[in-house]
Amino acid sequence: MITFEHVSKRYPGGTAALQDVSFHLDPGEMVFLTGHSGAGKSTLLRLVLMLERASRGQVIIDGRNLGKTPSRLAPQVRRRVGMIFQDHKLLSDKSVFDNVALPLLIAGLRYPEIRKRVRAALDKVGLLSKEKSWPLTLSGGEQQRVGIARAIVGMPPVLLADEPTGNLDPELSRDLFRLFRQLNGQGVTVMVASHDLALIRSMGQRVLVLSQGALVDDISGCDVGGSRS
Amino acid sequence: MNIRDKRRSARAWGRRQLYSFFSSLGTLLGHRLGTLMTVLVLGIAMLLPLGLYVTLDNLRGLDLQQEDWGTVTVFLRPGVAAEQAGSLAERIRRERGAEVVAVSPQQGMADFAEASGFGEALNLFDEIPLPWVLLVTPRLAEDLDIAAAVGDLGDWLGEQEGVDLVQVDFKWLQRLAGLLALGDAFVTVLTVLFSLAVVVVVANTIRLDVANRAHEIEVLLMVGASNGFVRQPFLYLGFWYGLLGALLALLLLALCLLYLSRPLGRLLDAYGSSVDIGGPGAVTVLLVLLCGGALGLLGAGVAVQRYLRQFRLPESGGAS
Repeated sequence: MITFEHVSKRYPGGTAALQDVSFHLDPGEMVFLTGHSGAGKSTLLRLVLMLERASRGQVIIDGRNLGKTPSRLAPQVRRRVGMIFQDHKLLSDKSVFDNVALPLLIAGLRYPEIRKRVRAALDKVGLLSKEKSWPLTLSGGEQQRVGIARAIVGMPPVLLADEPTGNLDPELSRDLFRLFRQLNGQGVTVMVASHDLALIRSMGQRVLVLSQGALVDDISGCDVGGSRS
Repeated sequence: MNIRDKRRSARAWGRRQLYSFFSSLGTLLGHRLGTLMTVLVLGIAMLLPLGLYVTLDNLRGLDLQQEDWGTVTVFLRPGVAAEQAGSLAERIRRERGAEVVAVSPQQGMADFAEASGFGEALNLFDEIPLPWVLLVTPRLAEDLDIAAAVGDLGDWLGEQEGVDLVQVDFKWLQRLAGLLALGDAFVTVLTVLFSLAVVVVVANTIRLDVANRAHEIEVLLMVGASNGFVRQPFLYLGFWYGLLGALLALLLLALCLLYLSRPLGRLLDAYGSSVDIGGPGAVTVLLVLLCGGALGLLGAGVAVQRYLRQFRLPESGGAS
């Protein structure tokens, strides 16, 4: 589902954000991406989302080689990838419902269909009662879950999360990770970038470790150890 | 893509348009003060060329209704007899379709004596020193170029036998025609300049609007919006600005005409002429609205395109 083959990314000015990174994710797999800040986690996710292009190597998402995909098709790639951001990136002048509905409005779905799917997505993250609320009236954890509802409402086969627990307390972070595993259980390929090592260890999933742009470790789920909570 | 898919994507396109349409209206109504100020600036910018155009249009109508604008005075040679003058007058009527008033030397003398007050002094002349004079007023179709037509008549008259001097007193006509032509050129220049101003004003307004909504645009692009989807509401917004500006310009014009109509009517009465001040015709109104909308659209397009370029990915080819 996600394949990186000898991918390097060098920003103008010479900073090497990724160096010769290779890994492969099967459909329905879940993986954590970890490393210090500046290790290249965000760059890796931006490559998957086609917000950047690799300087070298191949990025293949869902059978599509992004290096050979013209920019005008980037929206199509992004519609197949649900993205969850650390700062949620919700629109504060739109209700929770309208925020979650954005990807479907972009796809041009009929309103009854939009309503059905948005409510299903909000139900999945446990926020159905908040559909008419404004994002700023919600707690951080709730805002993050609105972001997740928006990411899954279009039923993308891939879900990416960039430091989704950044501003949450440990209990909420744990709930969030459980939600990711639940979504993964429904067949979605999930990739979560996080530096919360203790939490990652407790999840018992495959972990990719980045350091200074290089992939230094690829730990399979059973080797992580720790209890599955 | 089969027909069903095509229909489905057409419907999706329609729904996206509808969303953009209402989204742009929402923006317009959401920033009422800002909208009002922008529209006011646009309206005034459009009023200037439009107002001048309508003024010129009215002036052109005015001069064609004047009766005595192009009388040509033909002085015959001294000693030309009454019959000869009469036959020439007849020929002018027949061949040029002009009105001719023949003034005999005696009549001319009497008129002059009366007008000048030199009656006594003129009695000193043994014989009347004035020649026959023909006052020729051409009848013209409305759309004819007056100056050229009168000039042409003057030339023709000059070639007739017994004619001593043709005095074509249409300097002021030439001046008016010249002024009108200058006015036309002025309208063109103003239209171009103020169209540019409209585009720039709309572009700047939309640019600010886009900058204010940078976060929203970023989010839209991240969740899979195409540039077209991002651009569309702003294009509608630009169109509304232009259209509302044009509407306001027409409204202001109507108010101006209403305000001017009484003093102008009084002035024209004093000149013994009554003229209705005409506003722009239906075609002009429609054209102004269309052009306003189009200029707004153009300004918005320029602004959004510039902004979206920042988000553009380098094309593929970097990957090996």
